[in-house]
Amino acid sequence: MDAKTLQGVMYIIFIIFLTFILYGYIVHLYRSEKKGKRNYEKYGKMALDDELTSPPVEPIEEEKSKESK
Amino acid sequence: MQNPAIEYDYTVAKWFSYLAILFGIVGMGVGVWIAFELAFPELNYVLGEYTLFSRLRPVHTNVVAYGFTLSGIWATWYYVGQRVLKVSLAESKFLQTIAKLHFWLYFIGALLAVGSLLIRYTTSKEYAQFEWPFDIVVVIIWVLWGISIFGLIGIRREKTLYISMWYYIATFLGVAMLYLFNNMEVPTYLITGMGDPLHSVSMYAGTNDAMVQWWFGHNAVAFVFTVPIIAMIYYYLPKESGQPVYSYKLSLLSFWGLMFVYLWAGGHHLIYSTVPDWMQTMGSVFSVILILPSWGSALNMLLTMKGEWGQLKENPLIKFMVLASTFYMLSTLEGPIQSIKSVNALAHFTDWIPGHVHDGTLGWVGFMIIAAIMHMAPRFYKREIYSKKLLEMQFWLQTTGIVLYFSSMWIAGITQGMMWRAVDQYGNLAYSFIDTVTVLHPYYTLRGIGGLFYFIGLFMWAYNFYKTMTAAKQIEKEPQFASPMAA
Amino acid sequence: MFGWLERNPFFFAVGVFVVIAFAGLIEIVPDFAQQSRPVVTAKPYSLLELAGRQVYIKDSCNACHSQLIRPFKSETDRYGMYSLNGEYAYDRPFLWGSKRTGPDLHRVGNYRTSDWHANHMWDPTSVVPGSIMPAYKHMFTNVTDLETAYAEALTVKKVFNVPYDKDMDGDGKVDVPLGSYEEAKKRAFEYALRVAEETKRQDLVDMVKAGKIPEIVALIAYLNRLK
Repeated sequence: MDAKTLQGVMYIIFIIFLTFILYGYIVHLYRSEKKGKRNYEKYGKMALDDELTSPPVEPIEEEKSKESK
Repeated sequence: MQNPAIEYDYTVAKWFSYLAILFGIVGMGVGVWIAFELAFPELNYVLGEYTLFSRLRPVHTNVVAYGFTLSGIWATWYYVGQRVLKVSLAESKFLQTIAKLHFWLYFIGALLAVGSLLIRYTTSKEYAQFEWPFDIVVVIIWVLWGISIFGLIGIRREKTLYISMWYYIATFLGVAMLYLFNNMEVPTYLITGMGDPLHSVSMYAGTNDAMVQWWFGHNAVAFVFTVPIIAMIYYYLPKESGQPVYSYKLSLLSFWGLMFVYLWAGGHHLIYSTVPDWMQTMGSVFSVILILPSWGSALNMLLTMKGEWGQLKENPLIKFMVLASTFYMLSTLEGPIQSIKSVNALAHFTDWIPGHVHDGTLGWVGFMIIAAIMHMAPRFYKREIYSKKLLEMQFWLQTTGIVLYFSSMWIAGITQGMMWRAVDQYGNLAYSFIDTVTVLHPYYTLRGIGGLFYFIGLFMWAYNFYKTMTAAKQIEKEPQFASPMAA
Repeated sequence: MFGWLERNPFFFAVGVFVVIAFAGLIEIVPDFAQQSRPVVTAKPYSLLELAGRQVYIKDSCNACHSQLIRPFKSETDRYGMYSLNGEYAYDRPFLWGSKRTGPDLHRVGNYRTSDWHANHMWDPTSVVPGSIMPAYKHMFTNVTDLETAYAEALTVKKVFNVPYDKDMDGDGKVDVPLGSYEEAKKRAFEYALRVAEETKRQDLVDMVKAGKIPEIVALIAYLNRLK
């Protein structure tokens, strides 16, 4: 297989892979919201409540107690 | 739960804001000057060889892109970064020092680099003109910024990174990769021990050099003029209006879409050149696809204002930001149109291209940075914005300036493109080249006037900022949403 | 997986990098060897031409002039044969430009003469009424930096194997000699004198004879070479 063909094949494979990932991501976003695992829209609050004294949307200390997935 | 004595540290954000104003005035001042040079060539000789068009054009592009815009990006980074991670720079002496070092090295480096352009040191590659020692300084500055980003992330209180952070990180990575590869050059003095120590020769030759250059050039636009500006608008528009982003999920999807698609579109600068055909086509196709993620972000911003359009009337900062998103939509539609092969055949090499660039830079980048800095001013100084009326006037003056700019360049570009290809009844070229230059005089004049309007607006901005800093009415505490303004 | 990526800045950054680096890898790298092959007639620049090219770059002529003729009849009628990939094999950096405020120059050597260039660079409107190009009078007094040009030629010869001092076409003769700095300089001066005489300007001839090559002479040598 010469470089040209390899280039073409790599391109196709990677595009398909990334498209797959992107759609997987969309499914992930909506499914985890539906199942109530995470609410993505609440992250929008991060810009609004951004005083040092305001409580973080997801404090970093919780990481140990709750598994991220 | 936090120590109430700690506050956000705005020192470096303030410094970069001053610099953004300074470089904005200098860079766009030069721009207005060279715009008038095209209409009135005598202006070329005002300061001898130092005001020749060809000498000043790289100065204009570099000061605006890497002076004004980068300063604006960093002013907002040192503000937004702390706030969305809910951690103060003051909590880490180390990061505070890095931030200050970052500023000073950048300031000194920028002055020296611009000086070097004025005395003819240039590699000629657009937006990468600086010779190799300055490239090394740029790399160091970039590493400092990286330490600042990831250091601050390391000590954050907010676990999840806000969407603006994603865009700042992408800016950091994208520019690092592009800049390094495009500036690969061999310093001739180090190899031979002869000649000018600052001189270097590109690692790539001919068509390869062109490919690398436009892969860089196009994406430098992506990662300096688009990605970090989106980072800004995702913070400042929701904050100023009090409305959370319309759809956070859409913002995430647009992010990945933009990251993937943008890099492919560089080929549209080389349509009908000697680069392989498939790459030109790829550049064309991906440019059109690029409309999707771009409009995704822009519509997301506009929809954030849903039900709150009253604010557009009341608040000039909202005006700036909404118009910025609108210009973003305009230029991300115009760009793909110009990338279509048959349109590109007409538009390439004409004034339509600078016209397109300026829709984006004046309308989108400029307005967003102006709004961001005016949003921060009351928080920096615990004072009201000095004058709402002045801000309104600035808005309308600059908007008129942009409209004059792009409409005259559209006409100029299409006129010139049509004249280049026009033939008489026997199939001979109808015009000599100089005919296609002299015909542009009125449009060049109009463009200069448009630029001048925008430039005057900058002084209004600087004055308003200065007065906010020194003379406006003090406020008790930091405003949460809309910035307070005196009429 | 995605939730994890969103909270791990390091791996997030790696992900972003992979996605943005992909385009460059696929688009640029595989064609590199192909793109750098010269056409048969392409030759490296002689010392004086290279010095002229450096002047062209120093004063950013490429801000207003392209060196890329596209394959349209309107362009080939105006500027000559459309540009070929292999013609640029020795161009470091490339000088295609992105804006034609002035005309394309890729084959300007075919239809302009040394004295035309000299007059034009001294006062553009004297040969092109209505021109908005400024005069470049400092090029008539600045002295060409031959040493830096030689350093560049030697660098590309050593590092990139540019065929100086080689018989490229197999006719038993060296095509573009470089040699030592002294030799190269001697040839550059002979060449410069010829160009200076063609410009019909005594001051330029005198300067070359006095051991200083004005930048304009080097630049014209370069422009004449563009064919």
